[in-house]
Amino acid sequence: MSRRWFNLSFRGSSAATALAIAAAVMLVPANLLPVLSTETSGSFRSDTIFSGAVELWRHDLGAIAVIVFTASIIIPILKLAGLGWLIFSVRQGAPRNERRLTRIYSAIEFIGRWSMLDVFLAAFLTGLVQFGELSMVEARSGIVAFAAAVVLTVLATQAFDPRAIWVGSADASPVPPSR
Amino acid sequence: MAQITHLTCPLCGRDHRPVRLAPGEVAHCTQCETVLAKGQRGGTEAPLVFCVTGLVLALPACFLPFVGAGKLGAERVSTLFTGVGALWDNDMRALALLVLLCGGLLPIALLATLASLQMPDRFASHLANPGSLARIARTLELCAIPEVQVLAVLVALMKLGSVVNVTIGPGFWFYCAMSLCLILAQRGFNFRALGGGPAAAGKQP
Repeated sequence: MSRRWFNLSFRGSSAATALAIAAAVMLVPANLLPVLSTETSGSFRSDTIFSGAVELWRHDLGAIAVIVFTASIIIPILKLAGLGWLIFSVRQGAPRNERRLTRIYSAIEFIGRWSMLDVFLAAFLTGLVQFGELSMVEARSGIVAFAAAVVLTVLATQAFDPRAIWVGSADASPVPPSR
Repeated sequence: MAQITHLTCPLCGRDHRPVRLAPGEVAHCTQCETVLAKGQRGGTEAPLVFCVTGLVLALPACFLPFVGAGKLGAERVSTLFTGVGALWDNDMRALALLVLLCGGLLPIALLATLASLQMPDRFASHLANPGSLARIARTLELCAIPEVQVLAVLVALMKLGSVVNVTIGPGFWFYCAMSLCLILAQRGFNFRALGGGPAAAGKQP
């Protein structure tokens, strides 16, 4: 059993590492390139994820700005950092704080989906605001890089096998669940 | 519904014997303390009810007007898939497909899969391998994220408030209700812990 787990964790953490690195690379253009361009009555502006959140803040939409900033900037970075920590711990062998690492994995798995907020936002605005010269919103290349980063992060999380955290300390004897 | 002989924690691999859970009772993994199963409060058929309701709501959610916008006399109405079309026309086809799948098709597919898994035995005898269906549901669960789409639309409405006149259409409310049904239906399943079996720990003597 433990040998199978070892092989599984080796493959899993390698794939997870590769995907996490790819996601980190994609986050660079995602944050540097514009994600949306807006044209309203002749004035044109192009926003990155960060400048979009700042613009919301300036328009007294602080709560929305915080949501966008958290979902699009904080969560992807936290996910990658957490995943990096998990991979590093597993590669070091027999981590001591298994429960904490397992909780971190659960949290990463749960929060990952919320990073798609900006992608849905861009799609919705692009579809709705099409008023010709009066007002136009267009998705820009940054959102493609951002979506790729989100998808790669989700794949990296799935490639990582959380059972690898317990290799060396796991005892597979069947016992009833505690209540 | 499938019979469960053991529960394996998906996070640490520990095997557990299934036990019957009272409504609201929670079973934790003995090793990593992950929640393995919860006793269902709304009865054993509540998830099926939510799935079927969600599927019924999905139809108007897909085709009725989602949000309307107007500016200086110009009006525009969008449906659930208008943004997908706009991205497609903008040569962002992979992104359009991603939005279509995560926000539109996969939530419906997940509802249908969960409904299949919860069908009473007399209707579900043709399900040769419910374990595979549960694995499909688990995969769909990762990608079906209508609640994120709902939040995105709400954020967009706040953002657009000062630029155009926005009206919320019935399609959006149906979509919100469908998302809620999906969340409630998912809460009745324990496919994380089952690794293939569809039922809850509370159903096994």
